[in-house]
This record gives sequence, C-alpha cells and structure tokens, in this order.
Amino acid sequence: MSIEITVAESTDNMKERMKDNVIQFQDVDCRISGKDILKGITLNVRRGEIMGLLGKNGAGKTTLLSLISGLRSQTLGEVTVLGERMPAHSTEFRRRMGFVLQENALYEELTVFENLKFSASLYDVQDSRKKILEVLEILGLSDRRDQVVSTLSGGLKRRTAIARALLHDPELFIIDEPTLGVDADTRHALWAYLRLLRSKSKTVIVATNYLDEALALCDRVAVLGEGVMLAIAEPRELVKRTGSCIDIECNEQTAKKIASGVQNLWQVTRADITLSGISLFLAKGANPDEVLREFTKYGSIEGFCFRAPDLSEVFKSLGR
Amino acid sequence: MRKNLRALLGGMNAELSRLRRSRLLIALVLVQSVTFLFLVTLFGMTGAYAPTALVNNDNGPLSQVLINSLEKDHHSFNLIFMNNETAARELVAKGDLVAMIVIPQGFSENISEGKTVPITVFIDNINSDLTADIQRAVPSAVMSFGDGLKFEGVNVGVDETDTYAHDTSFINYMIASALVLDALIISGTLSAFSVAEEFESKTAKILAISPVPPLIPLIGRVMATALVSAGALAITVFVALVGYGISPVQPLEMVLTLLFCIAIFSCIGAGLAAVMKKTLPVALFVLGIALPLFLFSGSYEPQRFDGSLIWGAAHFSPEYYAVGLMEHAVFNLKVTPEPVGLLALALVGWGIGALVLAWFFSRRGFL
Repeated sequence: MSIEITVAESTDNMKERMKDNVIQFQDVDCRISGKDILKGITLNVRRGEIMGLLGKNGAGKTTLLSLISGLRSQTLGEVTVLGERMPAHSTEFRRRMGFVLQENALYEELTVFENLKFSASLYDVQDSRKKILEVLEILGLSDRRDQVVSTLSGGLKRRTAIARALLHDPELFIIDEPTLGVDADTRHALWAYLRLLRSKSKTVIVATNYLDEALALCDRVAVLGEGVMLAIAEPRELVKRTGSCIDIECNEQTAKKIASGVQNLWQVTRADITLSGISLFLAKGANPDEVLREFTKYGSIEGFCFRAPDLSEVFKSLGR
Repeated sequence: MRKNLRALLGGMNAELSRLRRSRLLIALVLVQSVTFLFLVTLFGMTGAYAPTALVNNDNGPLSQVLINSLEKDHHSFNLIFMNNETAARELVAKGDLVAMIVIPQGFSENISEGKTVPITVFIDNINSDLTADIQRAVPSAVMSFGDGLKFEGVNVGVDETDTYAHDTSFINYMIASALVLDALIISGTLSAFSVAEEFESKTAKILAISPVPPLIPLIGRVMATALVSAGALAITVFVALVGYGISPVQPLEMVLTLLFCIAIFSCIGAGLAAVMKKTLPVALFVLGIALPLFLFSGSYEPQRFDGSLIWGAAHFSPEYYAVGLMEHAVFNLKVTPEPVGLLALALVGWGIGALVLAWFFSRRGFL
C-alpha cells in the first residue's frame, strides 16, 4: 500500500478549525446487564482533530463508541454528536458518520467491490461506481476489487472495512482498533490515511490499546480505565507525565544487581528483569544520565535504549 | 422512498451474489428437499403393490380367473409369475419379495367338483403392516373369484360408492403435500441462513447504523432467498411431475399455493433467525419442525394421528391450509372440512401474519 500525502496547514488554521465541538459527553453513565460499563464520562471532541480513546481491553472504549454511533443509549447524562442529542436516528445524522467496527463486519462471501456497492446503496452514494473505484485506489485495494473477502488477509480486510466507512465521505469517522491484526506497513499506511482525513477537516475518533499508535496519530487522547475517564491530554503530555523508560541489555547477574541497587534511587519507579536484561521506568523529572551513571557501577552493560512508556506505565502514573 | 428502494435492491443484489457463490449450500438444500419427497414416498410404499411371487401349478382355466382377481385387488399385489416354488421361497427369504402365493395342481378340477382347495401363502412377516395387507387382500380376491363364478354359498357382494370418481395413488397423494414440506425446508433454511449470518458476522451492526431502517436491506435479502427458493422448488416440482407422473388439475392454484408457501416460510425462517442469531441452530430447528408440522397438518387425511386434538392444533400451522390447497389443486380432493376459499384466505392471513412476525422479531434483533 503506498499513499503519498502532502499536508501543509498552519497551526493557526488547525486551531481555528478545532474550536467547535463535534462530540460532547456530559456526566454520562452506561449500564449494561446490571453492570456499570461507563461512569461519569465527560468528554469533548473538536472538529478536525484525531481523538484517541486509550484503554485496556474491557475499559469501556467500544461502549463509548457505541454511544456515539447510536448503537447504544446512555443510562444517565447527555451525549451530543454532530449537534444532535443522542440517541439520534435521523437519516441525515447517520449519513454524516462513518464507523469501522472492531470486527470488520464484512460480507465474507462477497467481493471487495460488492461489499462497497452494497454500502453505497445503504448510504445512497451518487455515482457509486466511480466513488468506489476512487476509495479503492486511495486504500490500495484496486487490484483486489474482485477478490472475495474471505480470501483476503487480515490487513486487507481491515482496509476494506475502512474503505466502506469512507465511501459516503462522512464528516465524523470512528474507528475501533484501526490496526488490529495488520502488518507494520499497513499500519503506517492507515495512520497516514487517517492524518489525511484530518487535513480535510474530518473528525476522527480512534479507540486503541496501543500507546505508540496514540502517540503517532492522535492530537489528544482520553484514557479510560474500568469505565472511568482517567485523563484527557495530548499524547506527549501523557508520556511526559508518565516518565520514560530505559531498556538495558546485560547478563542476568548484572540485571539482578541493578534491580537491587536502584531500589534506593528516587528516579526509578520500577525495575523489570527481562530476557535480555532489565527495564527501568523513570519518574517524571528524572535525569536519565544520572541513572545511567549509577547503574554502570554494577557490572558490564552491552547496550541500552530510551523509549516511551507502555500503556501499563501510563495507567500506573494515573494511579491505576 | 427512492433511497429505501435502492437499499432494498442493494440488499437483494448482495444476497444474490452471495448465493451465487454458495452453490453447494443451494445444492444441498435441493438434495434435501428431493430426499424428503422420497422419504414421504416410503409411507406409501409399505401398503401398496407388495411384490408377490405367484406360482401356478394348475393347468386348468379357473386358476387364470383367480389370478385375474388377485391382480384386480385394489393396489395390493405386484404379481411376479414364477414356475419354481423353491426359488420363489428363497427370494422371499432374501427380502426380494414380500410373499408367495401357490395355486396347487388340480385347482380347476377340484373347484369344478365343489371341493375346498387350500391356497398356500408364504409371507415374510418382518413387516406386520405388509403382512396384514396380504392377509386382507388374499381372502378378498378369493371372494371376488367365487362371486364371479356364481358359486353357491358366495352371497356377499360389495356395492362400493366412492367420494371421488377417480382413485388417487397414495404415493402421489403424499407427494402433493410433500411439496409444501419442501417449500418449508428450502425457503425456511435459505432465509434463516441469510438473516442469521447478519448477526454472526456482525454486519447487523453495520445495517443498524446505516441511514436506512435495517429491515429494508434485510427484506431485500430475504426476497433474494425467496427467489432462489422458488427456482429450487421448481426443480423439486419437476421431479414430482416427471418422476411420479403427477398431473395437476389446477396448475395455477398449485403454483400460487407454493409461492405463498415460499413467502410465508421465508418470513418464518427470517424471524427465527432474528431470535436465534446463529446459522447452525436455526437450520437444525427448521429441519426439526418440518416433518412434525407436515405429519400433523392433515397430510394423511382421512387418517388423523392421535385424534382430533393434534388435528385441531394443526389449524395453527400454515401447512394445514397449504396441504389442503395442494391436494385440491393437484387431485381435486377436499381433505379438510373447510372450503377451498377459506383455506386460501387462511393462507393469505398466514402470509400477512408471518410478515408481521418476521418484522417484529427482526426489529427486536436489531435493537
């Protein structure tokens, strides 16, 4: 898949665009089968931004997306999407939204083209054949158009599901786990395509449990944990808040010495012994140089690298 | 309106494309419906035209008169003439023949002299139904033989008056009603598969968030399965017409009845699938209810199983009315107390009812 994108937009323009809210949640609760899935959720999503919903499995991301799409209704609170109070079922409202489910939900025995053609009939897409061919071209599916979906790889199915959701040119695009089961190349291509949507003033909601995806893609992220909104921040801010991580390559003996030695260092919040050595998680404001100098005392080091924290570190930093 | 029509046609097109790639499924459903035709035929086979060896050791003229009486006996024997009693007995023992009748040597002469002559009958009584048939048929033929020859002492005659001017072969009678059963199997299974798949593959969610009411494309899909069902049932009807030699008295009535059956059973299949949401259980359920519904819907009139209670309950099944109409359309028979017009009206009512039920359950399934 190859997509070439040129986005040249001033930050001012982007900020201007993002002024109005496309989605508003006000103290929203959602209870399903007697269980509280979402509790007291307040969230605003601005026009033209990519908002990430970050959370572990079962955190409530998919339920929150269901409230936006109208597949479910909230138990308490108020949800407004594209200016309509939910649950809204008007034809025009639904036409303004594109939704990619966690499951691709494709007709497996139909071809890629037939799946899109059926969707075009649901959304009354004019000049549908031309539009389908355009979307297939953008998503690199032109040579697969007559292939039956059941014979496609996971990545190609994901792209087909995305193509279907984009066919009617929605202004709000919701995607649950965009890169679930796709290879690295497709993953980056999909990210690029979502950024292209943003450049066209489309609002994108992405639910993911990969922090690196949120970092690469999202303007802001809302972190959900057990149905509660833990934080809403820009991804870099979230990482800064959490601190960074050093992966050290060393033998097991040295790793154990480091693990015991760093216990007294305030800069290190956690040490995990790994197969290749040890991972040290640094507190916010810690100086990595000082930490590195400290652990070289304990033995020989084969290598090290700095990286962003993972989702569990983010949750830890948020008190979860 | 135009948008809904487009969605409906879109659903229909999509389903036709899907079914075009599911030829094995359609072939298996078709095979199943033809198999059911054969299955119901078995009920008729046991009681008619029992293959029976006839060994005639008599050279006189009266033995031929007895043979004629046996052959004329109502659908009882398929006589196979043999010379060797031992060979015939072996065939009965092997199960190739049901019975053997032996006319003894000197039969004509002894009868002419007014002597009693025993007729040897050897029966494979593994099936008591067939045994009873032969036990009834042989004395009946003998009585007819004596009556024809004006023997003294034979003073019982039968003055038969039939409800219908024509006899209907039991197997053909069954086949006409079995076509209703086939309509249920074909259209019920295909529509149930189509709707249940929406839930299994989660595409129901895609329909639920689309701008058109989800039932619109779903109706399109069920219309497509009904169309394919009609084609498949046409093949089964062809088997019935050519294979069993059925010639409908009212072809238009037969076609309309079967089309109504397809519409009703397609709706029932769709409704069941919307409740069960899984292809395998719903397919098994459709097959599971098919035969009991058939048996208790008057398919064997005037025989009623387990009295009037089940027969009364059968009035709640569309098969009851459809079977009544089919027997009328194909053989001009009236197998229900209700007049044909009322049966047709009831079937139309069932059509509307099935549509409402399918709409209700499908709507609930999508909510």
